[in-house]
Amino acid sequence: MTVDVPLEVFAAPVLPEILPPPRRRGWLGGFLLRHPGMAAGIALLSIMLVIAVFAPLLATVDPTALAPVRRLRPPSAHYWFGTDMLGRDIYSRVMYGARVSLTVGFAVAALASATGTLIGLLAGFVRWSDALIMRVMDGVMSIPPILLAIALMALTRGSVQNVIIAITISEIPRVARLVRGVVLSLREQPYVEAAIACGTRLPTIIWRHILPNTLAPLTVQATYICASAMITEAILSFIGAGTPPTIPSWGNIMAEGRALWQIKPFIVFFPAVFLSLTVLAVNLVGDGLRDALDPRLAKRL
Amino acid sequence: MLVYALRRVLATIPVMAVVALFVFSLLYFAPGDPAAIIAGDQATPEQIAHIRASLGLDRPFLVRFGEWSWHILHGDLGTSIFTNLPVSHMIAQRLEPTFSLMLLTLILSLVVAIPMGVVAAWRQGSWIDRLIMVVAVFGFSTPVFVIGYLLAYVFALQLDWLPVQGYTPIAEGFWPFLQSLILPAVTLGGIYIALIARITRASMLEVLSQDYVRTARAKGLGERAVLFVHALKNAAVPIVTVAGLGVALLIGGAVVTESVFAIPGLGRLTVDAILRRDYPVIQGVVLLFSFVYVLVNLLVDLLYSLFDPRIRY
Amino acid sequence: MLRRDVLKSAAALAASGALAAPAIGRAAEARVLRFVPQSNLPNLDPIWGTQYVVRNAALLVWDTLYGVDSHLQPQPQMCEGHEVSADGLLWRFTLRPGLKFHDDTQVLPRDVIASLQRWMQRDTMGQLIHARLDGMDAPDDRSFRIRLSRPFSKMLFALGKSNAALACIMPERIAKTDGFTQINEYIGSGPMRFRKDEWVPGSKAVFERFEGYLPRPEPASWMAGGKRMYFDRIEWQIIPDGGTASAALQNGEIDWWETPLPDLVPLLRRQRGVQVDVADPLGNIGVFRMNHLWPPFNDERARRAVLMAADQADFMHAVVGDDAQMWKPLPSFFTPGTPLSTTEGGAALQGKRDYAAAKKLLADSGYNGEKVVMLVGTDLSITKGQGDVAADMLGRIGMNVDYVAIDWGSVGARRARKEAPDKGGWNIFLTWLAGADCANPAPYTALRTNGAKAWFGWPDSAPIEQLIADWYDAPDLAAEQQRIAALNRASMEFATFLPTGFFLAYQAWRSNVSGIVKAPFPVFWDVRKS
Repeated sequence: MTVDVPLEVFAAPVLPEILPPPRRRGWLGGFLLRHPGMAAGIALLSIMLVIAVFAPLLATVDPTALAPVRRLRPPSAHYWFGTDMLGRDIYSRVMYGARVSLTVGFAVAALASATGTLIGLLAGFVRWSDALIMRVMDGVMSIPPILLAIALMALTRGSVQNVIIAITISEIPRVARLVRGVVLSLREQPYVEAAIACGTRLPTIIWRHILPNTLAPLTVQATYICASAMITEAILSFIGAGTPPTIPSWGNIMAEGRALWQIKPFIVFFPAVFLSLTVLAVNLVGDGLRDALDPRLAKRL
Repeated sequence: MLVYALRRVLATIPVMAVVALFVFSLLYFAPGDPAAIIAGDQATPEQIAHIRASLGLDRPFLVRFGEWSWHILHGDLGTSIFTNLPVSHMIAQRLEPTFSLMLLTLILSLVVAIPMGVVAAWRQGSWIDRLIMVVAVFGFSTPVFVIGYLLAYVFALQLDWLPVQGYTPIAEGFWPFLQSLILPAVTLGGIYIALIARITRASMLEVLSQDYVRTARAKGLGERAVLFVHALKNAAVPIVTVAGLGVALLIGGAVVTESVFAIPGLGRLTVDAILRRDYPVIQGVVLLFSFVYVLVNLLVDLLYSLFDPRIRY
Repeated sequence: MLRRDVLKSAAALAASGALAAPAIGRAAEARVLRFVPQSNLPNLDPIWGTQYVVRNAALLVWDTLYGVDSHLQPQPQMCEGHEVSADGLLWRFTLRPGLKFHDDTQVLPRDVIASLQRWMQRDTMGQLIHARLDGMDAPDDRSFRIRLSRPFSKMLFALGKSNAALACIMPERIAKTDGFTQINEYIGSGPMRFRKDEWVPGSKAVFERFEGYLPRPEPASWMAGGKRMYFDRIEWQIIPDGGTASAALQNGEIDWWETPLPDLVPLLRRQRGVQVDVADPLGNIGVFRMNHLWPPFNDERARRAVLMAADQADFMHAVVGDDAQMWKPLPSFFTPGTPLSTTEGGAALQGKRDYAAAKKLLADSGYNGEKVVMLVGTDLSITKGQGDVAADMLGRIGMNVDYVAIDWGSVGARRARKEAPDKGGWNIFLTWLAGADCANPAPYTALRTNGAKAWFGWPDSAPIEQLIADWYDAPDLAAEQQRIAALNRASMEFATFLPTGFFLAYQAWRSNVSGIVKAPFPVFWDVRKS
């Protein structure tokens, strides 16, 4: 959701003469010190990753086990985050929910980047396909991402996999456009033309010259896609078009608790806080990466 | 300029064609047989086959796409599977709340976000800059429904200043209308404000480092005039671009906001339609929103030349 | 220029609105009732749609020949009276004078006959009458006759019963629509007109007072007596989110909420200006309905395995929350506290749940991990709660549940499909029945086992049908009770469906609204607002 807009404006001028600053010892540490936001983001994100990976070990119980007799217990020493209307342990559900959110976020970021890069390379190098591909991408981009994901979900059944596919499709065009832009500007560069003239094979050119230059803006873009995908997943689940209600995702927990937000706000509160913090973490990392990879911008921010 | 405008308008045609093709495929590939749904649960296979033929559902994809597009161009969006009402009628009933909400959000967000961004850029690196940017990152990261429920709890239930839910048409008075939309608009505005504030700050920083701003300051122009007249005017192009692109966020957010505040708009219609797998309605809404989105961005492009006299086409 | 004009007119609008609003407000306000129904009104055909929400709307728009009162006794409504021949084969009914449809045409016997014909196509009691019908005719403009080949003692109850399909009277030209096709013109004979032009499915439905309606002189009692309307408009606002509806009621934005969430009731009770009460003393019975046409539930053993594994307390906690006053275990198909209630043969639903035995029984039925499609209306707390508990229970006995989360209206549409579950059909859906409809077999559609003509799930058992027929012929209460006990035992063994428990529901309204009664459906007549 947050993606399309900022990057095109922020990251577009990155290309291509600007290369990452030379690596020095302690560069990372120094950078983090100068960028507390990014440090906080990385720390938060690491915590969420640990939660997702080690959810079964974090004093959780089966997040789907019902116990209607002990429903709607407020947070206490026994039920840290309370229980929901079916007596399920919200703490366990939230911990396991991290898996769904992060899986969706990272999977969408990876898939959209990979597919988008391929499409972008194709459009950039195969001239006759360019116009066609870009018209299709423009068309897909003109459907607001959430609506596109909703429409795609209408075609299938709710499952984590389908959610990932639906959100990925709506994010691909932005990546494709970015990569195509890089390819088009690089293709005219003397050293690339020289390489072509020497008869270097296309895969080698892509590998040696194109991909390294797309990496920086692509990484930044991917973090924003990741954050956006997590919010979209929560929204889809919240309106009942996302992961099936039997899976504990943060969106589902909130959807189930929202009817009782006046009297049992904790049901919505805990997943909401975790979702917000995770998205915040990813956004902070994204901002940090942008500053790191675009020193010109970094000076100002 | 005119040639550019014309070219730009023509360029939207293939874009909308791709959208239409996508939206049509949605129904084409949708599971479930529309003929069986229309025939009802007592129909025989022969009856279903008959209905399929009479609806032309057995013809090739492109023929049906052509015919469907022809109907769309004549304002016929088909009939809802669920309510049996024309989709165009259902959409028309729900246009006002959604567009009122989006327009109000847009105005509210620009009024709040642009000064935020300008001040942040002006006092770059100060505590107020940091505060504004932190607020913006939070606005970016908090899901719409969380903001919505928080606001409703505080301002509607605890303080009782504003209604919790519902929508009052503007025909029933401007003040009730506004009251019913304030909370939803603030909710929906959160992410948009964050977006606009960030881009305003970034493009203002760009402009403030330019020579003519120094010149203006040197001329002894007041700080306010420098910021809001000279600098902002020159920073306007990226801001307006992003504001236009950000309309996608408003559309997505409206879907959620309308559910939270029980506003009978297109967003609620979308949510209801997806739960019922009412494909013609989903098609209609996606088509309409995409069209609006394309239109907004077309207008933004055409507005460039007004904001930035340097751009000549 | 332009901008200034806009601002100016906006300011003018604001000023005029602020001044005008309170002045017109008050008087008009008391004539409009804003009601939040249990769910969206997906269609409005009282014969075609059997959902309670459709029935409730139909009660406003259409009148019936007879109507049950609060003792479930049929009283004349559109009819003035009737005569029945000594052999019980010829019924002659006289219509009240001055009855009018919403298009201001007179209600004639031919309208009645066409309406009854359409109703007999779909309604289970109507089908019973149809099976013994010799003919209907109209000797004059005020009366009509029904000639039977065999007597039918429950005739008046059938014409006046409160469960769908209601024997609604509509103009002949509309009633001629096939019973399996939805009508799309809503011209009724009842106290309110349906404003089709203002209908926004999923959001609101509007009813407007019909000036031509002639209420009976007696005081109103449920579907009987004078249906006097004190509102010019009744606006149904659909608010699927319970939290939002509750907040709206607290803020006085709505007047009456049909089904407040039980968990929110303590909160609502504490609010000044809000009244909460039990909606219907006859309560409701939760229903876990199985499809008898397809595996695994075409096998009696699989259905009985479900009964063995079901913990009614779990279902009821999920439906009504923590208040133990609001639910009872129900080892029966019949409403507790009514004259015919029985627990004969209900042992399968009592005692400790034996998952191992249920698993074994399920395996014996030949079930081997195939997908079981369960339709859950996730927009209603009653169906959603039952669905989640059911998924958990079925998982424990090793069933592979495909939890289909859709809205309640879609459940209503999809449950009618007889196709295989993987081809758009289903295995299970969850719902509930009003206790009033489960007090005896006459209105109890869900208990019938007449195969293809039965209610969704299409159970087929001739012996049970015979037991139901026996009850109709019972000479006295003792005989009725005895036959009901046998019917209950047979239905338990056949496992027609799983009753998930008995529960009471609440309704809530603003204190300035008076005249709301306890009934199995919202009774709008005699309700006033100050």
